[in-house]
Amino acid sequence: METGKMDATELQPVLEFLGRQVPFDALSREALALCCRSLVIGYYAKASGYVAMDARRPRLHLVRSGAFEVRTPEGELIDRLGEGDCFGFSSMLSGEEIVNRVAILEDGLVYHLDADTFDALRRQSREFDRFFNRMFAQRLRNQGRYRAKDLATSRICALMTATPMSIDGQASVTAAAQLMQQHRISSLLVTDGQALSGILTDRDLRNRVLAAGLDGGVAVHRVMTPRPVSLQANASVFEAMQLMSEHNIHHLPLLEQGRPVGIVTSTDLLRRQGCQPLLLIGEIERQTALPGLVQVSKQLPLLLQNLIGADTRAEEVGRILTSVTDALTRRLLLLNQALLGEPPMAYCWLAFGSQGRQDQAACSDQDNGLLLAEEPDAEALGYFSALSRAVCEGLSLCGFPLCPGNIMAQNPDWCLSLTRWQQQFAQWVATPEPRALLHASIFFDMRSVFGPASLFAALQDKVLADTRKNALFLAALAGNALQTSAPLGFFRTWVLERDGREIKGIDLKHRGNALINDIARVYALAAGIKEANTAQRIRAVMALGELNRQDALNLADAQEFIAHRRLANQGAQFTAGQPMSNYLRPADVSSLVRHQLRDAFRVVHEAQDGLRMTFLRRF
Amino acid sequence: MTGLADLLLSPMVHRLLPGRLLKPWLRLNANRARQTPLAAYLRALEPLLGMAVARAPMMALDLEMTGLDPRRDQLLSIGLVPIEAGELVLAGARQVLVRIDAGVGHSATLHGIVDSELAQAMTQSQAMDWLLTQTRGRLLVAHNAPLDLSFIRRRMQLDHGLGLTLPAVDTLRLERRRLLRQAQDLTQGSLRLGACRGRYGLPGYAGHHALGDALACGELLLAQLSAMGDGLTVAELLRLSS
Repeated sequence: METGKMDATELQPVLEFLGRQVPFDALSREALALCCRSLVIGYYAKASGYVAMDARRPRLHLVRSGAFEVRTPEGELIDRLGEGDCFGFSSMLSGEEIVNRVAILEDGLVYHLDADTFDALRRQSREFDRFFNRMFAQRLRNQGRYRAKDLATSRICALMTATPMSIDGQASVTAAAQLMQQHRISSLLVTDGQALSGILTDRDLRNRVLAAGLDGGVAVHRVMTPRPVSLQANASVFEAMQLMSEHNIHHLPLLEQGRPVGIVTSTDLLRRQGCQPLLLIGEIERQTALPGLVQVSKQLPLLLQNLIGADTRAEEVGRILTSVTDALTRRLLLLNQALLGEPPMAYCWLAFGSQGRQDQAACSDQDNGLLLAEEPDAEALGYFSALSRAVCEGLSLCGFPLCPGNIMAQNPDWCLSLTRWQQQFAQWVATPEPRALLHASIFFDMRSVFGPASLFAALQDKVLADTRKNALFLAALAGNALQTSAPLGFFRTWVLERDGREIKGIDLKHRGNALINDIARVYALAAGIKEANTAQRIRAVMALGELNRQDALNLADAQEFIAHRRLANQGAQFTAGQPMSNYLRPADVSSLVRHQLRDAFRVVHEAQDGLRMTFLRRF
Repeated sequence: MTGLADLLLSPMVHRLLPGRLLKPWLRLNANRARQTPLAAYLRALEPLLGMAVARAPMMALDLEMTGLDPRRDQLLSIGLVPIEAGELVLAGARQVLVRIDAGVGHSATLHGIVDSELAQAMTQSQAMDWLLTQTRGRLLVAHNAPLDLSFIRRRMQLDHGLGLTLPAVDTLRLERRRLLRQAQDLTQGSLRLGACRGRYGLPGYAGHHALGDALACGELLLAQLSAMGDGLTVAELLRLSS
């Protein structure tokens, strides 16, 4: 006789509801019945304010009726939930503490599912599991949207373990393992004197000692990872994340003046997860075909708006957007290499112009080229032609228009061997015909996005050797940089030109940032500085004493201020549903902003004077 | 003293003064019920009385019957959903079918139960003992409790010669009291389970399954309790629903 054993069909109202909800609808009949039998139902009244969550007993909350809101501890909105929506899964998936708070907007009934059953259901249904992982990522993204400012500007040193444990390279592996055990750490920095010479991780002990059959007496320097990827301690959190995902490493030593001052692990960074750009780059790296990349790229305008909305520094915005473009480019290269086969020789994918300078903004054109290690034969040329066409076409589909000036890797003129590139640059430098140089200047803002660093260095070192202290070339370049001037200021709601004309609006890029880029380029090439980013060029020039400190700081501030206005302007245009441009109408900004812009233009004007004095006075 | 003893022998007297009379009533009748499941049930109820409702173990109950008259009609099924610390625990939800003497006839259409399913079921007496065992140590909760309680009382009378109206929380009574206090008109059907649930924004369930109705009643109680605030004891809740 059946003595009261419940048949799930008898809990029909609950079962029916579950069966209608994504992702429960993906569960098998048996799994659904198990889920139904495991539920605990609670009622939440608005008057109690927040849903009380027990950290020792995490549960999935499925809203049956009522309305709820997930907010960060700082009170920022992450999600609003109604019937059929879930919360509480983030801490169950991440195993992290519950930090977000769930406010009760309307009285409601909530179904709770314990962690064991939740895990069992995730094991039974891939779709169920995927759904919650996607929701988790989504919520992190929303969180990232509000935290973008925080993340983009905070320094990695704030997250590092300071005074990391280190060991001398001559010490034995046993001593190293004991040190790691004692301090419960998964890595040790290996030093040679005070300099960092390597890193030793749990994995190295397993793979290079135990698996290789070595005994504990072997010296650490023989099994460590030598010359580990490292970062300056004052770099941003974002740069650290990018570097670690790029090299697929979990430990990143941080340096100050060449000495290790700390270490961050992927766990440290995971705690700070929620960075949308990083998630975007992660998504890019997961894509296995062009349509996926095109789809992911559609988030770029939103990313830009989020960064603008979070009032992120313009320099960081440019860097972040460029890192996404870099990731897209690398992914496209790898995907197409997989289709075309191994490349016939080493090569670098070069980024010029704004991508080279890491100051991409909305709708930046492509400017790229290919640097080949050797002179290609017809077959190799065919390979790189097919590769570059596919990548340029892919970038175009991802929202980066083909370059109107045809400065692209798919143009045979810009798919050259190291020797030919060196010759090309040498020609620009040796016979600086102003008109030709005007078009060539963006080539001098170059960066390698993909390929061996040594190959790119061979080109860059040669170019800088040619330009450094080359008075004739620098004078021509400076002359070009002085062709356009910044406006004088504003008069009422008009832009006041230096010749007294009043015009309605101004192109902040061509009459502002581009002028500063030009100025910084001349100084950088004169001093042989490798940086392509304008702000970094200015800082490096200042450090070398080639530009006085006050002028350099003013110029860097002017660059940031004008770029920031440009972004704010584009944010407003986007919000208003207008096409985005660099065109600012003074009528659209406050008189304070007009005053500040006038000051910034004055700085540009003075810097142009300085450039003339430094590079043109002998001519 | 004889007066009080006589009073306590009245099967429903505890409903008049649950705070004062319920305890002696439980003791007296537990003794009268001797070794039956009813005696154990009554004894286990006593410790609950002073407990905060938020912590008290309860059991939402629904009975399906062939009709409304306990003397003529019989039990068809019993649905139970336990309430622990203010939450309904579906893992403990139970439903049993009860065998009846005659064919189900007309009301089978209503309840969706056919005779063949009942062949496997418990007898009326087994079902009642099972109910008392399952709910031991738990306060009963039902919507329009007097009806369910009258069937239980009838069965007790027949099986153990002791017909008692068990203490229970009545969600209908709680709702009626609330509506009257808010000076709302009690219109036809406004105290039905579905109508009461609707006022708390609870979802509509297709009725007439013992388990589904027990669940619906349990959810209604949670909503009602959340509106009543903290600090209420079981004895006070019983008084409010009598």
